[in-house]
Amino acid sequence: MAQGSALAMIGRRLLQAAPVIVLATFIVFGLLKLLPGDVAVTLAGDNATDDRIAEIRRIYGLDRPFLVQYGVWLWKAAHGDLSQSILSGEQVLTSIARCFPHTLLIVVMALGLALLIGVPLGAAAAARPNGLIDRATMTLASIGIAVPNFWLAMILVSLFALRWNIFPATGATAFSVSPADAINHAILPALALAAGGMAEVARQVRGSLLDVMSSQFVRTLRAKGLKTSTILWRHGLKNIAVNLLTVTGLLFNRLLAATVVVEAVFAIPGMGGLIVHAAIQRDFTVVQGVVFAMVIVVILVNLVTDMLCAAIDPRIGR
Amino acid sequence: MGHDEKFARLSRREAMALASAAGAAALINTSALAQGAPKKGGVLKVSANANPSSLDPQTGGAGSDHTMLFPMYDTLVEWDYETLKPKPGLAESWSFSDPQTLVMNIRSGVTFHDGTPLDAEAVKFNLERAKTEQRSNIKADLATVASVAVTGPQQVTLKLSQPDAALPGILSDRAGMMISPTAVKASGNIDRKPVGAGAYQFVSWTDNEKIVVKRYDKYWRANERHLDGIEFAIIPELATGVRSVIAGQNHVAYSLPARQKAVLKRASNINQASGPTVYCQQIYFNWGKPPFNDIRVRKAINHAVDRATFVKATLDGVGEPAYMNLPSSHWAYDADVAKLYPHDLDKARALLKEANIPQGFELDLVGYTDQDSIRREEILIEQFAKVGLKAKFTNGSIAEISAAFFGKDKKGVGLLSAWTGRPDPSLTYTLLYSKNSYFNAARADVPAGLPEALAATRASENIDARKKAFATVQRIVMENALACPLAFQFELDALSPKVKGFKPNLLGKPKYEGVWLES
Repeated sequence: MAQGSALAMIGRRLLQAAPVIVLATFIVFGLLKLLPGDVAVTLAGDNATDDRIAEIRRIYGLDRPFLVQYGVWLWKAAHGDLSQSILSGEQVLTSIARCFPHTLLIVVMALGLALLIGVPLGAAAAARPNGLIDRATMTLASIGIAVPNFWLAMILVSLFALRWNIFPATGATAFSVSPADAINHAILPALALAAGGMAEVARQVRGSLLDVMSSQFVRTLRAKGLKTSTILWRHGLKNIAVNLLTVTGLLFNRLLAATVVVEAVFAIPGMGGLIVHAAIQRDFTVVQGVVFAMVIVVILVNLVTDMLCAAIDPRIGR
Repeated sequence: MGHDEKFARLSRREAMALASAAGAAALINTSALAQGAPKKGGVLKVSANANPSSLDPQTGGAGSDHTMLFPMYDTLVEWDYETLKPKPGLAESWSFSDPQTLVMNIRSGVTFHDGTPLDAEAVKFNLERAKTEQRSNIKADLATVASVAVTGPQQVTLKLSQPDAALPGILSDRAGMMISPTAVKASGNIDRKPVGAGAYQFVSWTDNEKIVVKRYDKYWRANERHLDGIEFAIIPELATGVRSVIAGQNHVAYSLPARQKAVLKRASNINQASGPTVYCQQIYFNWGKPPFNDIRVRKAINHAVDRATFVKATLDGVGEPAYMNLPSSHWAYDADVAKLYPHDLDKARALLKEANIPQGFELDLVGYTDQDSIRREEILIEQFAKVGLKAKFTNGSIAEISAAFFGKDKKGVGLLSAWTGRPDPSLTYTLLYSKNSYFNAARADVPAGLPEALAATRASENIDARKKAFATVQRIVMENALACPLAFQFELDALSPKVKGFKPNLLGKPKYEGVWLES
């Protein structure tokens, strides 16, 4: 049964993905077209004239009806061609392939940090509700959520990069070029991103664990004479695994979005920079391409999360 | 008010004195200029402010491209750093044999990076491509060039449809950047594979990340270029760019906003360079729409703004008040025109009353959302309030708002923005104040005599005659108050102490010609 239902789930999700992609890209395309100003003005440059702008619209087909422009883009995208940037002429797929690894590295590292720190903190807090550790953790968690990550990013840079010179202040290295250097560049941005995530993970773990700890079977375990720490780590975490996985999946998607700001602070040439630059200049093929890629990533992450949850808790898959 | 005027006089005199000091535009902290013998070698790392629109000078369009184009492309004509007066470049000399014929003698022995010789044929090819290539953005720049003839192996003769003394200046900009004809013929599109005849040849361009150029050993002035190469790291967030210089990852961050001055001051290992530029912050009027279709209201605005305070408050002194579209150190600046609009609240109020503008009248202005623009708006709102005008700004991104103001929508009656300047001022004035210019938001009629006065600036190549002609243009523009110039924003650069021989220029687009690195 397990294999069949898993395949059915993948199939269902992929079928769901198609309308989501169409809807998301259509809405974004519509928004871009609703805003005044278009890429032709940017392309015409500083010496723009009305005639030149009109001519550029003609050259790039920007004067065609809205639905035709979108249709052409969608038709190409459906055939695996994300077109090329109107501004720079680079294939959008090439840009994404170059930028996404930078973003992915930061997000994965931030997620790792959030889990590595958040889970033990949450567990420690749950072990003694309203104890010192609990209160300290929850205060920390509130701060973590409240502090804007761009501010934290700048504080980290001024301390770790400018004052102590431990980590680089800006830039990124591709993981494929030098893994060590890539990680070195990604540590500060990942830390800045992770703060909010850590806080959220700690809160979720604490809350779910407290639920579990007050359940019947834990009382039985205690009655059997098991130590609190054993109950927490062996039985507690297993029982909150589904919750934790769901939170992790959501967190991944949220971190992906949060990179936009952090990438700007650290001058990381990732997806955030790519879409912001493109959106400002109304380079709609790039915007569409990034949205397209992001929708796929989010759907995939959700799919993997759901499958893992189903694997851990067979009740979900049914 | 007396105090304000004193400040105005002081800061202007100060600015002029500083600009002419030692004939150098660089001031403030000049340790970057205190140089020994230049050392050869090293790669200069520059924090670049924007991804280029293209590396083909003819198809690109952004003013921020030049600083990356200059190292790769030499221009036919060059300019003096301090005054922007044209001087020989790839063209070793030129003359107007009559007002409609420009003869240019091209330097011999120069080659493009692919080995193609830079001769008269190559120049002809470039100028014709600029005029005919579908994607060329500089057709208008060369509108007066009727034909280009090769009149010698190293000589071209340009036949003009009307006298155009601005051409040498125009040929120091995009139109004068020579591209290898071989490269263009081979691929048609060299946006991402530029081949020029500059000191450095193209290596790579990764979008929004990095541009790398390396030394071209056969460059005709190779012994005056000291670097092995230049790397432009593209960092649009200027504060981040400054941090990269403080951290030692880059050597140069340029065109910084004045508020970074304090950051640079605090950093112990940073040199500053600064100098006047033609970058003019101003209020663009839509003079086809009320209330700015009334000259009295436009004049009132010009009297109401307190430029000296504006410079002090928004530019931290890294700038000078603007009374026309040229700064005081420019060769065509006219000191008499600068006296037209002293800060005079009574006069402003009287003019508004005459124009039947009631107290509390709301001005529907547009502007941009960045931090510096908002700061400028706040100052102006305060200053306008003193003459009973209520300024209301609607803000958005540059692309959105400028398109809405200049394009079809005609949103707002005034736009707080800037004019980045051009090597030849006739281009500035033609683009800003012509009947059908994009930057004339209403495409409204221009004052009588202005087109003729503009034509006169192009009629003679004699610089004194041109200066006189520009004085007339500036007087007509400002007497009719077609805009409200506010301030010239000075260049502000952060330099690593290793950088020697760097000089800002009046165009405000850094060239790295004499730069060398101390090991």
